[in-house]
Amino acid sequence: MSICLEYKKLKRTGFLPAFFGGGLLSAFVPIGNMMFRSEIFVNSPEPALKILFNANWQMMAMLNLFLIVIGACIMYHTEYADNAMQKMDALPIRQSSNFFSKFFILTVSIIAVLAIEAASLAFCIHHWFSLYDEFAIELLKSIGYAAILAVPTLILMTGIASICKNMWISLGVGIICMFVATMIPKTNFILSLFPFALPFQTLWDTESTRIFQFICGVGIETGVFGMAELIYLKVRRKFQ
Amino acid sequence: MSFLSLIGVELKKIQHSKILWILLIPIVLLWIPAVINADLNFDTQLEGISPENNFLVQSFMGFAWFMYPASLVICTVLLNQTERSNRGILKMFSLPISRFKLCLAKFVVLLILAVVQMVMMLTMYFLCAAIASSIQDYQFILSPLIVLKEAGMIYLSSIPMATVYWMLATCIQTPIFSIGIGLATIVPSVLAINTKMWFLYPMCYPFMIITSEMHKMATNLGTFSYKLFPWIPVAMAFTVICLVISCIRFGQVEGR
Amino acid sequence: MNIIETNKLTKSYSDFMAVSNVDLHIRKGSIYGLLGPNGAGKSTIMKMFLGLMQPTSGSFTIDGKSYPTDRLKILSEIGSFIEGPAFYGNLSGEENLEIIRKILGLPKSSVSEVLDLMGLTEHRKRLAKKYSLGMKQRLGLAGALIGKPPILILDEPTNGLDPVGIHEVRNLIRYLPKKFECTVLISSHLLSEIELMVDDIGILNHGQLLFEGTLDEFRYSAGEKGYSTDKLEDTFLTMIEEDNRKRGAIR
Repeated sequence: MSICLEYKKLKRTGFLPAFFGGGLLSAFVPIGNMMFRSEIFVNSPEPALKILFNANWQMMAMLNLFLIVIGACIMYHTEYADNAMQKMDALPIRQSSNFFSKFFILTVSIIAVLAIEAASLAFCIHHWFSLYDEFAIELLKSIGYAAILAVPTLILMTGIASICKNMWISLGVGIICMFVATMIPKTNFILSLFPFALPFQTLWDTESTRIFQFICGVGIETGVFGMAELIYLKVRRKFQ
Repeated sequence: MSFLSLIGVELKKIQHSKILWILLIPIVLLWIPAVINADLNFDTQLEGISPENNFLVQSFMGFAWFMYPASLVICTVLLNQTERSNRGILKMFSLPISRFKLCLAKFVVLLILAVVQMVMMLTMYFLCAAIASSIQDYQFILSPLIVLKEAGMIYLSSIPMATVYWMLATCIQTPIFSIGIGLATIVPSVLAINTKMWFLYPMCYPFMIITSEMHKMATNLGTFSYKLFPWIPVAMAFTVICLVISCIRFGQVEGR
Repeated sequence: MNIIETNKLTKSYSDFMAVSNVDLHIRKGSIYGLLGPNGAGKSTIMKMFLGLMQPTSGSFTIDGKSYPTDRLKILSEIGSFIEGPAFYGNLSGEENLEIIRKILGLPKSSVSEVLDLMGLTEHRKRLAKKYSLGMKQRLGLAGALIGKPPILILDEPTNGLDPVGIHEVRNLIRYLPKKFECTVLISSHLLSEIELMVDDIGILNHGQLLFEGTLDEFRYSAGEKGYSTDKLEDTFLTMIEEDNRKRGAIR
């Protein structure tokens, strides 16, 4: 029920158009790249999907991160802007269920964006390379991996937005975190576990043992951030 | 009221907005890893770039590609929001000031803020280069003339981009959307500088300039040159058109 | 029988006391007016009842339930309106109420009932941020009244309304206890504004309760102290001034 309500609150905030538009834009990245400079890519001996991921994923991941940051900010902005949060606090509903519903909606939205991106990658392979047998499974795996690695960012960013009454602060924090992430070398495992850096990883340039470690990292981070939010909500109530 | 004193008034409006922090934080974050990883600058024989040049250009590339445009986007929206949030703009419009002038004064403030950030960037460069030099026992500090030239080129080439963002901020009422669209336009500049039509995408100008400079310094990477024609006329056209549109829209949107 | 009772309720900040050792007794089915100048602690007390603020010390019970153990149970019995309307600007008036309705688990018809009650039916499809000040106020009140809660907490509900609106809201509140069998706690900084509808009053100044009782008791006690009782508003103001003077003397 809570999820339905949270979804309702997003009406006319531009949340859905933002994700749809953002999805289309990031889907255009590989297509545009192939349109302008296909000659660099088509003659490479590597698997087509690997070429596409190496050439485009940095940009696509960045757009996805933007969407996460902006989406989280929009969600909590409607709560704080006209003081609706106070009304919610005075109703018999838990703030934590409010938070997790928002996190869930954000996650589903980003999965939808990833699906649009997957479709565009499939189109690129079909158009400029040739479709091969295991292609569909490989694509699913890569996108699924990307979705999993996005979870810590999703929960952390929702948390940041829930803490800051002023949307500009959460937006600023999100953008600075993204900026820090772009400077982290992808080869450094420990630093790559920084939530905003995780989405830049791809299945293609990660060793199989590392993949498992990354997924464990994701699990731990998600748990920690979730717990931290619960504690924060408790503490906030205490200090009001 | 003269245009200059109007700019003074606009600067006063942002006095307590913490905008300087927004400009400073990313620059500090940019330089800390540069100092920590200063030793990596010695592994660049392959590219044929000297360590001191690499130290300068790597950080300036990071700055021109993402943080500088992002700061501009945030400044444009903040400048607009200070007016809209408490309906200060209605008061401004009820005073005898031309709306055109007001819009231009705000844009000049944006350019001033960009200068401020550039000065911060330069100060941090000299500071960090000095620290890195003493840690690595190697002279990283370049002649101020070279550094000023790079910073000046990035700044000048960013003016058309600034007008585009200013236009977005005045035309799109919902602040989160003007920020979102602004930020989203930064990402494709990596793609844009690799195409022949790069000059049609103002958001990539600063990145194009600095990338080209990097290739000049790195002798083994080959050239990455650009021609001034048709770039300069196109850039000027962008600047003028965007400014005119934003000035027209500025009055219209608020006057409703 | 008292539906709300507080016991030495206190809220203090590092530099001042917002509410200090207040004992309120609100009878079931009554309209209780909390009176005091700005900053007397009226909103603070109401916020503590709703769990929007933590008491520094002291306790309270609402309908036999105590805070914080029964927080959610307490909240499901209270309709509230605190410090002006709180709403989602991007949603229409109807959609705003729909969200509250779902959280409270009320029947679908309750939204249209309350829209009708507050005279918002005509404007129900309009976005809340486009509402006029008075309509926002009505929407806020509708959010409090929806589902006929047994307890209503209204913080200066007539702020921002025009004289006609003030009159309407006053009439509405006056008949609420009979109509919905509820208890109303209402705050105001003017006695004259609530004089005609309240049964009991509590007068607050600088966080302290100066008086609690019925209007008749107030008249009687004021007369005993030698205040004029021709106009109750003046009596109330004299009482506050007197208290301020005493405080000044202590200081």
